[in-house]
Amino acid sequence: MSFAAAMRYRFMKDLGAPALMAARRAMRKKRPSRPDPLFGPPLKSLARLKEIMMRHYFLARYAPGAHPVAWVTSGAPVELLRVFGFYTFYPENHGAMCGAAHMAPELCQAAEDHGYSQDLCSYARCDLGHYFTGKSPAGQLPKPDLLFASNNICQTVTYWFKALAHYYDIPLILFDTPFNFDQITESDLRYMAGQLEEMITPLQRISGVKFDQAKFLASLELGRATSETWGQVLQTMRHRPSPLTIFDTFFHMAPVVSLRGLPVAYDYYQTLLEELRDRVARGIGAVKLERKRLMWDNIAMWYKVRDFSNLFAEHGMNFVVATYTNAWAETIQYLDPDDPFRSLAKTYSLVILNNNLDHRLSLMERLIADYQVDGLVIHSARSCKPYSVGQYDLKRLLMERLAIPSVVIEADITDSRAYSEEQTRTRLEAFFEALED
Amino acid sequence: MTRKEYLQHQKTQRHRRVVGVLPALFPREILWAADAVPAEVWDPPLAVSRAGAHLQPYICSVVRQSLELILSGGADLVDALLFPHTCDSIQNMASVVHDYCGLDTPCLFFYHPKAPYTQHSRVYYRDQLQALLERLQELFGPAEPGALTAAVEMGQRMYRRLGEMYARRAGGNLGLGNEEFYRVLRRGEYLHPEDFIAELDQVLGRPAPAAAPPGPAVILSGVVPNPPGLLSQLDRLGVAVAHDDLLMGSRRIPSRLPAEGDPLDRLTESYFSLPPCSTRSNSLARRAAYLGQLVEQTGAAGVIFLIVKFCEPEYFDLPNLVEELKARGVPSLVLDTETNQPYDGRMATRVEAFIEMIG
Repeated sequence: MSFAAAMRYRFMKDLGAPALMAARRAMRKKRPSRPDPLFGPPLKSLARLKEIMMRHYFLARYAPGAHPVAWVTSGAPVELLRVFGFYTFYPENHGAMCGAAHMAPELCQAAEDHGYSQDLCSYARCDLGHYFTGKSPAGQLPKPDLLFASNNICQTVTYWFKALAHYYDIPLILFDTPFNFDQITESDLRYMAGQLEEMITPLQRISGVKFDQAKFLASLELGRATSETWGQVLQTMRHRPSPLTIFDTFFHMAPVVSLRGLPVAYDYYQTLLEELRDRVARGIGAVKLERKRLMWDNIAMWYKVRDFSNLFAEHGMNFVVATYTNAWAETIQYLDPDDPFRSLAKTYSLVILNNNLDHRLSLMERLIADYQVDGLVIHSARSCKPYSVGQYDLKRLLMERLAIPSVVIEADITDSRAYSEEQTRTRLEAFFEALED
Repeated sequence: MTRKEYLQHQKTQRHRRVVGVLPALFPREILWAADAVPAEVWDPPLAVSRAGAHLQPYICSVVRQSLELILSGGADLVDALLFPHTCDSIQNMASVVHDYCGLDTPCLFFYHPKAPYTQHSRVYYRDQLQALLERLQELFGPAEPGALTAAVEMGQRMYRRLGEMYARRAGGNLGLGNEEFYRVLRRGEYLHPEDFIAELDQVLGRPAPAAAPPGPAVILSGVVPNPPGLLSQLDRLGVAVAHDDLLMGSRRIPSRLPAEGDPLDRLTESYFSLPPCSTRSNSLARRAAYLGQLVEQTGAAGVIFLIVKFCEPEYFDLPNLVEELKARGVPSLVLDTETNQPYDGRMATRVEAFIEMIG
């Protein structure tokens, strides 16, 4: 780490970032918002969320040299990295940003021009496209010193991150989490906990910081509290009308994914939770006319979030739960400070995508009951095989068991070239009719 | 005898169990020790119809056709199904079959650790071997004393012969055309090792050919040597496949075969000596170095990549491997195909043009 880089980072943190935020606030004040006919008043917390994420991406530019920088997968146990002072960056979050900013086709094309198939995960193609072109809606991304991945969400990240390790010529640490085909075994737990303990040596070497057990426990506690509060945020959506839509949560989940284990994420969800509880108490719904309540399965279609939000709201329908957003809250109860490595292993290995389909079916049945769901929208995402393979069976079984109408949309998470507006509209119209029957 | 007849014979006449195995890496010896014959399913010649109700069109044909086979009665013959953890699609397909296809056939799952490896990977792999052995014993009854050691030694005899077959082919001393070579190799996907070793001995006992094929030599990389039309075209063009980096081929032949010790330790040692593979997530540097080494050792003039469409592990490694070969001055050709796709004129023309270029 260099002194000059550390001073520059400090300057930007203390002066640059606050100045940027102040300028943004001043600009926002000039644009008064008008009441929306479909939606309730915007959340006050949204402005804070934007500031947090903007600040995170802004400071990321100055992190190299001041902090060790790690690029991390969304399901990796980042709490361990916090102990060593890593500045963490999430390529999946960046991929979502590329999708929302409609930049994904261009970046994916750049990766394809370098030989990557169009049938590969588009988060990965966006990221590789950024590597080849330097383009990003976030401006400049911090060059990594370390790649930190876990295959608890997919094997794709191991292939993708090893490509990054090759291009950047930096170490890759993998947290290998055996798929839970039946039930987790003692051998699985020993293997995973052993890997976590073994990571300490390379993390110390890369960061130049010694492992500190007290800091680790504090980081775990902060991560636990953040995920738990995120779970409480989601639970407010059990109320009728729901104070949030799932499209809101697709954005509000950014801190629990990218800033887990840091005070800023925990503080943010405390603020958000307070505002949502107030809305619940006052009966303010995110969608003004919430006639039907829906569940979303799979990652968002980032380029269609606004369109879908309007389309469903026009029909008096609100998405009140998603298997996707729930993933950062569902296993946090396993975390035990008295047994940190084993419990961390359990917490991260039992997440939805590392679990068999029967587990997912049970989870969906529970969520449908808890959130009083009337219908299900299944996004069959070309990018995400572990989320998508099995969806046809889940759809059939939920219909058989709970008589829940559902629709499958064949599309992609960021690459809008894989999306057909006409086909989707036709399917959705049939779904809307089925829901009204 | 067809594959099906052979497996039925094993059951009725030899009183062995048959275990259907999905691709790719699994400990054959553990199954043999349980007196079971693994019947591997890579590319059954079936059109997908029933499987389409479970799997999206963007899932690879290996997975879609395997499920088709299972759903169309292919599982009736087998006493269990084994799903190694090869990729996301096979992982979830295993769950679909186990949880939702209404089969009575027991489904087993085998997880092998992914690279980069740590000191815990070996311990875990050994645990997985032990767990699979115990599960098979629960299903099929206890193994004979010494059965595992015997199976490990049988496996080593098989690998030595396979190694010799590959080495003699690389040196132009085998006397098998490309099509025949892979026909022999692929019989190992379902033959009991005693029978397979006998066939390998027969092949190795043949006299060496008088002359090497006149055309340039190539390396095949990818999943399976498919479509078979490619192999016969290479034979016609006088091109020898000098070696391969195929998932069903040399990527499953270990370089270390420990002579003694605990049988599970010996299998573990062998597993970690396998050539680098996308499905084990080995680094690109290792894969590129391995491929480069095969080219160098055999004097191959080019590499043909046989990629199964939608195969993520292979797709991700491909651009770097092509690039590294290019940097070494080795031309390559990528054929992106479905496993049951006919070998059409367009593909044949591309192969012909590639052979002309490197010849």
